[in-house]
Amino acid sequence: MRFWFSVVRQAGRNLRQTWPSQLMTLLTVSLSVLIFAFFSLVYTNMINSSEQLGDDLRLIIYLEDDPGPEMQEQLRRKITNFDRVEDIVFVSKEEAYKRFAEQLGGHRDVLDDIPKDFLPASVEVIPLKNLRSLNQIKLFSQYLSKLPGTLKVQYGQEWVERFYYFTRLLSIVVFLSGSLLILTTIFMVSYTIRLTIFGRQAELELLKLVGATNNYIRTPFLIEGVLQGLIGSSLGIFSLFLLYQWIKGHFSGPGLLELFSFTFFTPEVIIAIIFISIILTTAGSFTSIQKFLRI
Amino acid sequence: MTTNNASVNGTMVELIKVSKSYPPDVVALDNISLSINTGELFFMIGKSGAGKTTLLKMISYMEPPNTGLIEVAGHDLRRLRGNKLAKLRQRIGVAYQDFKLLLDRTVAENIAISMEVSYKQPSQIQKRVKNLLEQLQLSDKYNTITGELSRGEQQRITLARAVANSPTLLLVDEPTGNLDAETTGRVMQLLTKANNSGATVVIATHDESIFRNSKHRIMELDRGRMVSMKEATVS
Ligand SMILES: Nc1ncnc2c1ncn2[C@@H]1O[C@H](COP(=O)(O)OP(=O)(O)OP(=O)(O)O)[C@@H](O)[C@H]1O
Ligand SMILES: [Mg+2]
Repeated sequence: MRFWFSVVRQAGRNLRQTWPSQLMTLLTVSLSVLIFAFFSLVYTNMINSSEQLGDDLRLIIYLEDDPGPEMQEQLRRKITNFDRVEDIVFVSKEEAYKRFAEQLGGHRDVLDDIPKDFLPASVEVIPLKNLRSLNQIKLFSQYLSKLPGTLKVQYGQEWVERFYYFTRLLSIVVFLSGSLLILTTIFMVSYTIRLTIFGRQAELELLKLVGATNNYIRTPFLIEGVLQGLIGSSLGIFSLFLLYQWIKGHFSGPGLLELFSFTFFTPEVIIAIIFISIILTTAGSFTSIQKFLRI
Repeated sequence: MTTNNASVNGTMVELIKVSKSYPPDVVALDNISLSINTGELFFMIGKSGAGKTTLLKMISYMEPPNTGLIEVAGHDLRRLRGNKLAKLRQRIGVAYQDFKLLLDRTVAENIAISMEVSYKQPSQIQKRVKNLLEQLQLSDKYNTITGELSRGEQQRITLARAVANSPTLLLVDEPTGNLDAETTGRVMQLLTKANNSGATVVIATHDESIFRNSKHRIMELDRGRMVSMKEATVS
């Protein structure tokens, strides 16, 4: 009880002496949390939205011949060997012809002189609707084209590739902003704590001489670290939430956002981000004070 | 008294062949061996530069010696670390020659520090601080910023901080250097009182007036060596 009383008072003193740099650190922490959270939000929404976008996405494998039941089973096995898929549909030559005729509608008489098996049989593979399998589609198609009896593999190549590179880029951005978050929080916090220690060196030395335990000296600084992480990351997430609300309010209606069905972080994710920020800032302050205590 | 070895065998401070030198070649202490009994009042005298402050620094373990063994309250100082060292230091009160006061804090805050680190009740701290200031005739300075005090006043604040937590070992470096005869008397009264209530007190000084007629042991240092030891007169 009395321990916490003196700890809180010490922390208050630190704050009074160095509040400008403390404020700077707080802003840096919240800004890095904001940047990181922003990109992760976009990223997670991209992943979720691929579910909707991926609906028309299918790989079509044109085969040399109509596969018999045994061959179908073999193909099925080969395909699922590579990856789990949503569905596999076999289209025989006859079915292909029927579909084509239907598409022609009133002009179907042009087909009259053409043999019913002029269209190749095919297998339609519908990949799982998640980003990972979307990203793997290129590899998948390469794999499928090497299966025996395959003529050609087709998919919405251009679109998939663009989507693939975009999400790849985004994941790199998330990674970089995450590293930025880690670096800035740890270094900024340990830097300000070092400033505080430097400004109060005489007092801390005296505390050691009159028999203050390391915990007595250390805890106020750790509390500072915890507060920096807690307040900084909460501010960052709160500003992102405001930004999110603003965007939603201004771009609602049919359009990009409708397509992506933008959602905010779940409470669990928010708590996780705050928790990790606290760990980072506390680690920053811990390294600084530990350096001092070892002298 | 606590039940440590020291109170059992009666020795508070034990130094065996302690030497300390500073670069490049200043020998501050040269082969000092010394035992100070629990409850003793002990004078250390000698010319300026003789090594008095250095010896007190060894005993409070602000600095380690180059060679030799130092035991305080039965603990080998070299083997004490972390919380154990902190706990021992809470029982040692030191009035430094250079004061080590926090000049931007009030007098009361400065004195309270030594009690706060051992988690004394705030009300108890306040009472003790007021009482000490009274004994040292500084009652009106309770809320004064320490930097605004005269040297003589600061010296007494330093002493008050050293005494406040009722230490079992009290190390006092030049406690009367800036004081008039009457105030010197008050300071000595305070130290004697601490000694009478059981504390071991070590005073480093070259103020003859405070040790001239003393019945306690007096050790004289010269250039880091012990040159004489006047034994206590039995009263
Ligand atoms: N940190 C230091 N670095 C180098 N030399 C030092 C240091 N501290 C003390 N000395 C030297 O050690 C010797 C003893 O110094 P010390 O302070 O113990 O003397 P003292 O007896 O306390 O003197 P005074 O009566 O003036 O306080 C002196 O020659 C001093 O210059
Ligand atoms: Mg000295």
